[in-house]
Amino acid sequence: MTQPISHLDLLEAESIHIFREAAAQFRKPVLLYSIGKDSTVLLHLARKAFWPAKLPFPVLHIDTGWKFRDMITFRDKTARDFGLDLIVHTNEDGAAKGINPIDYAPSVYTDVMKTVPLKQALDKYAFDAAFGGARRDEEASRAKERVFSFRAEGHRWDPRRQRPEMWRLLNGRLGAGETVRVFPLSNWTERDVWRYILREKLDVVPLYFAAERPTVLRNGQILMRDDDRLTLKPGEEVVNRRVRFRTLGCYPLTAAVESDAADIESVVAETLGARTSERQGRLIDHDQAGAMEKKKQEGYF
Amino acid sequence: MSAQPNTLQKSKAKASKAPLKVVSDQTPAEASQAADLSKIAPELSGMLRVLTCGSVDDGKSTLIGRLLWDATDLYDDQRETLQRGKTVDGGNPDFSLLMDGLVAEREQGITIDIAWRYFDTATRRFVVIDSPGHEQYTRNMASGASHADVAILLVDARHGIKTQTRRHAAILDLVGVKRVILIVNKMDLVDWSESTFRKIEADFETFSWRFGFWEAKAIPTAAVSGDNVARASENMPWYPGPTLLEHLESLPSRVTEPTGPFRFPVQTVLRSSRNDFRGLAGTVSGGSVRVGETVVDALSKRSAKVLRIATMNGDLEQASQGQAVAIQLDADIDVARGAVLSKADVRPVVARVLETRMVWLSETPYDPRGSYLLRTATDLTPVSNLKIRALLDLDTLETHPSDACSANDIAIGDIALGRPAAIDTFGEAPETGSFMLVDAITGASIAGGVVTTAKSEAAAADENTFVLTRAMLERGLNSDIRDKPQSEAEFRRRANEVALILRAAGINVEIESAPDYSI
Ligand SMILES: Nc1nc2c(ncn2[C@@H]2O[C@H](COP(=O)(O)OP(=O)(O)O)[C@@H](O)[C@H]2O)c(=O)[nH]1
Ligand SMILES: [Mg+2]
Repeated sequence: MTQPISHLDLLEAESIHIFREAAAQFRKPVLLYSIGKDSTVLLHLARKAFWPAKLPFPVLHIDTGWKFRDMITFRDKTARDFGLDLIVHTNEDGAAKGINPIDYAPSVYTDVMKTVPLKQALDKYAFDAAFGGARRDEEASRAKERVFSFRAEGHRWDPRRQRPEMWRLLNGRLGAGETVRVFPLSNWTERDVWRYILREKLDVVPLYFAAERPTVLRNGQILMRDDDRLTLKPGEEVVNRRVRFRTLGCYPLTAAVESDAADIESVVAETLGARTSERQGRLIDHDQAGAMEKKKQEGYF
Repeated sequence: MSAQPNTLQKSKAKASKAPLKVVSDQTPAEASQAADLSKIAPELSGMLRVLTCGSVDDGKSTLIGRLLWDATDLYDDQRETLQRGKTVDGGNPDFSLLMDGLVAEREQGITIDIAWRYFDTATRRFVVIDSPGHEQYTRNMASGASHADVAILLVDARHGIKTQTRRHAAILDLVGVKRVILIVNKMDLVDWSESTFRKIEADFETFSWRFGFWEAKAIPTAAVSGDNVARASENMPWYPGPTLLEHLESLPSRVTEPTGPFRFPVQTVLRSSRNDFRGLAGTVSGGSVRVGETVVDALSKRSAKVLRIATMNGDLEQASQGQAVAIQLDADIDVARGAVLSKADVRPVVARVLETRMVWLSETPYDPRGSYLLRTATDLTPVSNLKIRALLDLDTLETHPSDACSANDIAIGDIALGRPAAIDTFGEAPETGSFMLVDAITGASIAGGVVTTAKSEAAAADENTFVLTRAMLERGLNSDIRDKPQSEAEFRRRANEVALILRAAGINVEIESAPDYSI
């Protein structure tokens, strides 16, 4: 008599279960919201987990000041529509020093404008748990991570000392100085995320859909010139191209793909047929071998 | 800006070996016409979680890497990265790099922690969990094993069954894996010898009969060259059976039909002023329940009828195993986190003492005076006494009496609880019959285990046991939370902590249970 349960139903139920376990076990959790497709799904699942009650935790956005303008508009609308308790935090010190993604190495920029402010915000509000939208299929060191990922003092990840995690049991008892990152989307793939956005009819940032956008070609990557802080190098010119994005981040570090997929159905179709991984479009991950693992050890999500 | 130039976005596949199931490059024009959701993004009807295990260097990571390479639609950039990297015997890429993602793993050429990979066939999601072989990383293997529906147990054809092979088989059995595939790998290094394969297959049978496996299929492979992985081997015409991939595809998906008695461990209570909603949030861990049925909280013995089964997508008539819902009852029976709802006739045991089998995961050995907590489905109970009775000898697979236990041991032990908890035996209801033993001070997960017997009688009364009564706790420590919503959960949390402090001082403690509401 039961309806057949598809793999998306199983994933959804697992994520809801994780949200509820974390909310029940930790004193003061927060949801890390980065505005992209994974965060969109994460937020939707969180709402499902506690419905009809309100989200029992705030939502935190680490703003580097270099996000696409469309992302910020979308963030503020989402917060209004769902009545979220939104906290926006920026590393003011880094911003004042002019640390930016154009003149600085991605590793320096990521550390100062993403990792440091994340740690600042977690410490400032004394959050003991932070939900993130990371998936194990994203990257090789992520593939190794637990659902409850413990961080030692200073938010450090030690991949050699991860807690065993057996069956569906989640042990959230913290040792002195420990905090935890919680990953409800651990077992989702990029394709699942899009399938689910389509199935649940979720709104996403328009940048995921193809449109004519002002772009520059740099190092073989197409970058969108979202404002004039992206100064042109000799020989470069701004060309309108029909592009969209597979992942979203800081605009000078996020490569576009040429595409005609202008609605959700075509984006999903294109994603399901994609021949390269989404990480290709993220310039920060190519900086050095093991880059993600290193960033994570330093406290990056 | 200093980003390294890297491969272009639209690089075309130039892999020399074409993957068997490539997802075709759709042109956007085709895509936008295909508006039918079920065509664009069909949901898969099943899921199968596959673990690899066995001793170090027997070829686990290589086997899975090879399987992904041959049989799945790996992305082009992943293929290129592998082809540019170092090669192993015979000029093949090092397929293990698809799994061993940590810097230390790549440097040392070993697997330290489990890796999770995902691939789809036409109807099914495969989840592959690659585990480390080293004894020192047994805790990681056990983590992986507990999530698996089927285990691939690898053996190096040159060396046969090792102690670590038996340890892993015993852990598979302990955590409830019922289907095993015995892979006899590196057949290229034993001249593709049938007799070597048959001997290892027979050796496996002589010890595995004592485990509760339903099925154990033996397959000879060579992971580096891909023989019998996704492609039938020409080197072993004497082997008539399926390749690993064919065999995996023939196995049933993870069961999504409700099995066993209805169990609903309560995670948290959801309240909303809208419609005066008070819902018990949780995931059905066994069986199913319908609106109108009577459910019981085993601990308080109070019962009520299911009024609503609520989800954000609308109310359900019935909730089955695996579904995450919020259950609203027709009477407010003050059920808190840690409670397990069941039907009246088949309830979990209100357990005081458990007989268990467990795998010791911590580097700190068992300490008879240690402060431990028992994490079950959604409850956390102080352990008043943990007594190790026996250890499994990994050479003979017999148990021997022992009162000590340390890292990677498989032990039989009795756990006396500081207060009753709703618990099943693992065989009857796995999710409410398994546990993690937690170090109360560091929070570390010390051991993972299953309940073989749950008893409701208290352990033999000890005159030195101190009983923390509810009256004692209500007077001062908990006076601020009486009659507050969720107060029982907080009441218990504080009682647990007091019990732990007393226990650290060498006092055996029991916590008086909540009032019994049965008539
Ligand atoms: N000749 C041969 N070597 C293999 C085979 N499978 C794996 N190896 C090699 O055995 C070593 C250990 O492999 P790895 O996958 O890391 O083993 P793991 O520790 O079980 O994950 C590596 O050098 C592999 O290249 C095989 O079928 N034949
Ligand atoms: Mg390995």
